Amino acid sequence: MTFRQFAFKNVTRNKRLYAAYFLSSMFTVMVFFTFAIFAYHPALTGDEMDSYVTQGMNISGGIIYVFSFFFILYSMSSFLQSRKKEFGLLIIQGMTIKQIRLMVFLENMLIGFFATVGGILLGLVFAKGILMVAENVLVIENKLNFYIPMEAIILSFVSFIILFFVISLFVSYVLRSKKLTELIRGDKQSKGEPKANIWLTILAVILIGGGYTVALLVRGVGVFIAMLPVIIVVSIGTYLFFTQLSVFIIRQLKKRDTFYWKKTNMILFSDLSFRMKDNARTFFMVAMVSTVAFSAIGTLYGFQTFLTEGIKLVNPNTFTYQADDSKRTEDIDFITSTIKDENMEADQEEMVLRYYPLEDKNVIIAKESDYNRFAELIGDDKIEVGEGNIRVIKFGDEGLLYTMDTDTSEVITLTSGETLKKNETIIESKALPAMYHYYVVSDRDYEKLGDPEDERYFSAWQVTQGKERVIGAAEKITEKVSPYYFTSVDLNVYEINKGYAPIMFVGLFIGIVFFVSAGSFLYFRLYTDLDTDKRKFHAISKMGLTSKELKKVLSRQTAILFFTPLIVALIHGAIALNALANMFNYNLAKESIIVLSVFSGIQIIYYVIVRFFYTKQIKQVL
Amino acid sequence: MISKGDLAMLQVKQVSKVYEGKLAYRALTDINLTIDTGEFVGIMGPSGSGKTTLLNMIATIDEPTTGEVLINGNNPHRLRKDDLAKFRRNELGFVFQEFNLLHTLTVEENIVLPLTLDGTKVKIMKQKAKQIAEKLGITDIMKKHTYEISGGQAQRAAVARAMIHSPKLLLADEPTGNLDSKSSKDVMGMLESINKNDHTTMMLVTHDPQAASYCDRVVFIRDGKFYSEIHRGDSRQTFFQKIIDTLSLLGGDDHDFPSVRV
Repeated sequence: MTFRQFAFKNVTRNKRLYAAYFLSSMFTVMVFFTFAIFAYHPALTGDEMDSYVTQGMNISGGIIYVFSFFFILYSMSSFLQSRKKEFGLLIIQGMTIKQIRLMVFLENMLIGFFATVGGILLGLVFAKGILMVAENVLVIENKLNFYIPMEAIILSFVSFIILFFVISLFVSYVLRSKKLTELIRGDKQSKGEPKANIWLTILAVILIGGGYTVALLVRGVGVFIAMLPVIIVVSIGTYLFFTQLSVFIIRQLKKRDTFYWKKTNMILFSDLSFRMKDNARTFFMVAMVSTVAFSAIGTLYGFQTFLTEGIKLVNPNTFTYQADDSKRTEDIDFITSTIKDENMEADQEEMVLRYYPLEDKNVIIAKESDYNRFAELIGDDKIEVGEGNIRVIKFGDEGLLYTMDTDTSEVITLTSGETLKKNETIIESKALPAMYHYYVVSDRDYEKLGDPEDERYFSAWQVTQGKERVIGAAEKITEKVSPYYFTSVDLNVYEINKGYAPIMFVGLFIGIVFFVSAGSFLYFRLYTDLDTDKRKFHAISKMGLTSKELKKVLSRQTAILFFTPLIVALIHGAIALNALANMFNYNLAKESIIVLSVFSGIQIIYYVIVRFFYTKQIKQVL
Repeated sequence: MISKGDLAMLQVKQVSKVYEGKLAYRALTDINLTIDTGEFVGIMGPSGSGKTTLLNMIATIDEPTTGEVLINGNNPHRLRKDDLAKFRRNELGFVFQEFNLLHTLTVEENIVLPLTLDGTKVKIMKQKAKQIAEKLGITDIMKKHTYEISGGQAQRAAVARAMIHSPKLLLADEPTGNLDSKSSKDVMGMLESINKNDHTTMMLVTHDPQAASYCDRVVFIRDGKFYSEIHRGDSRQTFFQKIIDTLSLLGGDDHDFPSVRV
C-alpha cells in the first residue's frame, strides 16, 4: 500500500465520517454553479440586460465565491477537529507531522475534486428548475431555455479546484502538532466547565442595549452616519452575548436546584454549559450571517415596495394626461380610442388646472364643481365651499410624501376687492395632482380670481372594466404619446418591477444561500457532538430512560441550537429594518414581518428535519 | 438449582439466546438460575462464554430468544418499552466497568440523576444523596466533577448512583475491570457490606477471582451453558482458592485469568 493509496482508502472506507464534509462542499459548489448557469444565460447576457446587471451578477458571483471559501474552510476545520484521535494514533505509529499534512492534503484534494464534479452534476439536474423560477421572478419576456452551460461548467470547475487547492494547502499547513497525549485522549478530555466573566457579561448587555437604542432613535440621515458604529458595537455585543452572557445565564439556572434538578433538565443543561464555548462561535457566526440575510432581503423587498407604493400613492387614477400644448386633442383622442380598441370601459374627467402664485410658489386653485368631479372619480367625498371661503386640501400625508404647513392666515384678494379666508380644517385628497396642497373655492368666487400664472390641461381616466388589459393598452399609448404627458400607474409599476427583478432575484438567491449555510453550520455543530451524545445516552439508557424523555431532551437540545441564534438574528434584523424605515421615513413593518416570518418558517422546517434524523441516529445505539 | 419460591428475587428459567445474522450465533443455551433475596451471586466464565449476554437479559437491555426471566416474580420483558425504562430505573441498579458517569455532572448530580428523572423533590434527593455518600465514604468528593476524581472514587460514585433508589436487584458488570487491586478491594468490600447490611440482592459478572470471592456463591458458565457452581464457606481465602481451581478446570486454553493473584 503506497502512501497515496492509504490516503485514498482513508476516504473511501470512512464514508460516513467524510459524508457531512463532502456533502456540504458539494452543496456549496452546486450553489455557485446554479448561480453561474443563471448569470451566463444567453438570454441574460445579450443586449436584453443592461451592463450594470451583468456587473451586479459578477459581483454577486464573487460574494458567493468568497463566502464559499469561508464556509468550506469552516466545515474543513470542524471535520479535522473530530479526527484528532486518529491523528494521535498515526503519530504513535511513527507517522511524521509532514506525512500527516500530506495525507490531509491528499484527502482534501480528493474530496474537493469529487465535490466539484458532483456539485456540477447536481447543479445540472436542478438547472431547469432554477431557470423556471428565475423566469417567473424576473418578469422576463423571452423564455429562459435550458442550455448546456459550458461557460458555467468551466468557471465552476476551475474556481473550485483552485479553492480546494488553496484550502487544502492552508489547512494542512496550519495543522499544528498538539501534545500527543491531547490528541490521543481526543474528545474524552474535558476542558472543564466554562466560566463567565462578570464584567464582560455586563459589557455585552450594555453594548447590545446601547446599539439598539441608537438604532431605534436615530432618524433620517442620522441612520446613515450611525450605521457603521452601531453594526460594530452590536457585533461585539453579540459575540460577548454568546460567549459570556449565555454562559452566565446557564450557570445561574444551574444554581437553582429546583430548576436544575427537575426531570431531564439536568441532562440538558449540564451539557449545554460545557458546550457553550464551542457553541458560542457557531452561534455568533450563524446569528450574524442570518442577520445579513434578513436585512439584505428585507431592504431589497422594502425598497421595491417603497418605489412601487410611492407611485401608486401619488396616482389614484388609471391614466392621467397633463399638457399645455396644442397636440393634446390628438393625444386624448388616441388614448380614448385605444381604451375602446382594447374593449375597456373607463370613466373620464377633464379640466384646466390654474396655478396662482401664493406662498412663494404656484398653487392650484380649483373650483368646487371641478374638484367634486375628480374627487368622485377616485371615490373621495364631495365638498361644499361657502362663498368667501377657501378649502385647503393636502395632497397626502403618508410618510412617503412630503408635507408642508400652510399659513392659514393668508388671504386671497379677488378682482372685486373681496377677500377669501382659509378654512381652518384641512382635508386630504389626491383628486388633483399637486406636490403639497391645493385650494378649492366656490364656483362664483372662482370667476373673480383673475388671471392665473400658468394653465395646464388635466385629464384622468378610471378604468372600470377590462383592468387586466391596462398594461397592454398603456404600452400602446406610450408608443405615440410622450410619457412626459401621459402616466399609467400600472405600466410604471410593471416597469419598475421588471428593472428591479434581477436585483431582487440575486438578492434573494444570496440571502437564501447565506441562510441555508447558516443552517449547515448548526448541523455541523450538532454532528460534532453526535458521538459524545451517543455514548452519553447509551449510558443513561442503561439506567432507564423512556423514549419520551429521550425525545424531550433531544428536542430541546436541538431547539436551543437552532433557535437561539435565529431569535438573536430576528431581533437584530427587525432593529436593522426599523432603522432603515426611519432613514426613508417609510413604514417597513409589513415587509419586515413577511421576510422574518418566511425565514422563521424555513428554520422551523430545517429544525424538524434535523431533529428527526438526529433522534434516529441516537436511538440506533440504545 | 432448586427454586426457593417466595425467597427468589431473580429466576432465570430455561433461557436461550440466539443472535440472528448471516451466521446465527447461539450465545446461551437453557440457562437456569435463581438468586434469593439478599443473596450475592457471581457469574464467571471465559471470554465469549455468555456472561454479559446473561447480564443484559436480566438487566432487560436484551431479550431472551426462549425461556423467561422473572424479577421479584414479574416478567419485565412483557412490559412496553417505556415502562421497561421506568422498571429499570426503579427496580434495578447498575454498576459498569467503565463507570458510565456523565462527565458534565458533578458526583452528587450523577448520583441523584435517576431520582431527578422520576421527579423526586429536591429536598429528598439532597437528603438521600447525603446519606448514601456518608455510607460509602464519598462525602468530600460530592461537589467534584468526574474528571477530577480517581477510578476507585468514580466506581464508588457509580455504586452510590445504583443504590440511591434502593433497588431490589443490583447488577454489576465487571465493576473492578478498570481498577487497580487496592481500589478493587475497596469497591468489593463496599458491595459486600451493602449486601450484608441492606440485604440488597446482587449479581456480579466478573473475570476477577479476587472480586468473585466476595460473593456468597459463584456460578460458572462456559460456551453459553451452565458449568458448575460453588458456595462460599466461612473463609473468603479458601473460597478464592476454590474459584481459582474451578477456573483452571474450566478452560485450559484461556489466558483470561491470572494463575495466582492475591
